[in-house]
Amino acid sequence: MAAPSMKERQVCWGARDDYWRCLEESAEDASRCQQLRKSFESSCPQQWIKYFDKRRDYLKFKEKFEAGQFQPSKSPANS
Amino acid sequence: MLLLARGPKAWPRFSLLKPLIFPWTLGNKTVCERVQHLSVQGPAETGKQGLPRGPRLRTRLLITALFGAGLGGAWLAARADKERQRQRRRTEALRQAAVGQGDFSLLDHHGQTRCKADFRGQWVLMYFGFTHCPDICPDELEKLVQVVQQLEAQPGLHPVQPVFVTVDPARDDVAAMARYVRDFHPRLLGLTGSAEQVAQASRSYRVYYSAGPKDEDQDYIVDHSIAIYLLNPDGLFTDYYGRGRSAEQIADSVRQHMAAFQSILT
Repeated sequence: MAAPSMKERQVCWGARDDYWRCLEESAEDASRCQQLRKSFESSCPQQWIKYFDKRRDYLKFKEKFEAGQFQPSKSPANS
Repeated sequence: MLLLARGPKAWPRFSLLKPLIFPWTLGNKTVCERVQHLSVQGPAETGKQGLPRGPRLRTRLLITALFGAGLGGAWLAARADKERQRQRRRTEALRQAAVGQGDFSLLDHHGQTRCKADFRGQWVLMYFGFTHCPDICPDELEKLVQVVQQLEAQPGLHPVQPVFVTVDPARDDVAAMARYVRDFHPRLLGLTGSAEQVAQASRSYRVYYSAGPKDEDQDYIVDHSIAIYLLNPDGLFTDYYGRGRSAEQIADSVRQHMAAFQSILT
């Protein structure tokens, strides 16, 4: 399987950004972004979808952590 | 008998004393005479008399100074020589590193064998990645190309050779590399090779890479270290730039390295 060309990459990244923006605007309610999710999935290789989903989780966590809102979970012994 | 016996004993004693006393009195006299003589002569004459002492002191001081200067000079020369030797050893070590360090044997995207020596005389910006990379590699290559374009736009600067080395030789053959690099810059050179050749080249630059699990499409992501390397025209690793550095920052750094560069291979 050939790697996506620059054009294909840009189409994929565009679909990803649209989907991520939708999630942002709908307070992370994925059910309201299904159409964009479909477009995202059809524009990118499957492996990239998995990668970008994980990447968004990470970026969200990073955002929260840097804003000082992240509370580390208490260890099982204490709870 | 007694006198006679003492006589010869006393006489030699006297004769011993005589020469001791005599010069003493004579000496005293001469010293006094001299003092009188001097006091009569007056200050002008004293100066004349003092003169032979002056030059002697000055000569001594001069000799001491010259000797000291000589010692100091010898020490400085020895130190300079030591420094030159240190510099020579360092240059020699660098020369060996320039030839041996970071060497590789790979295929460019035209199918030609390339080793590090082929890039001698050129500044090289090198990035390791893979063509199926979702976002980071294209971003970094885009940045690398921006650096090259910024430097190209400045007249009088040595052109920089952009190089992209794959860490996914299983999928990135010569044709895949050729397809990939042409999207970025006309002079971007793609390098690939056998798994061993790529492993060797990556080791030389301390690049870590590890292929992730394959999905149904046999697609996978390669995890790898992200850095842009700068090699000078001698082929020596000169600097590296992580993800946090902007194209402008990298271009500035390259310009500084170019200004400070002095070849050790001429």
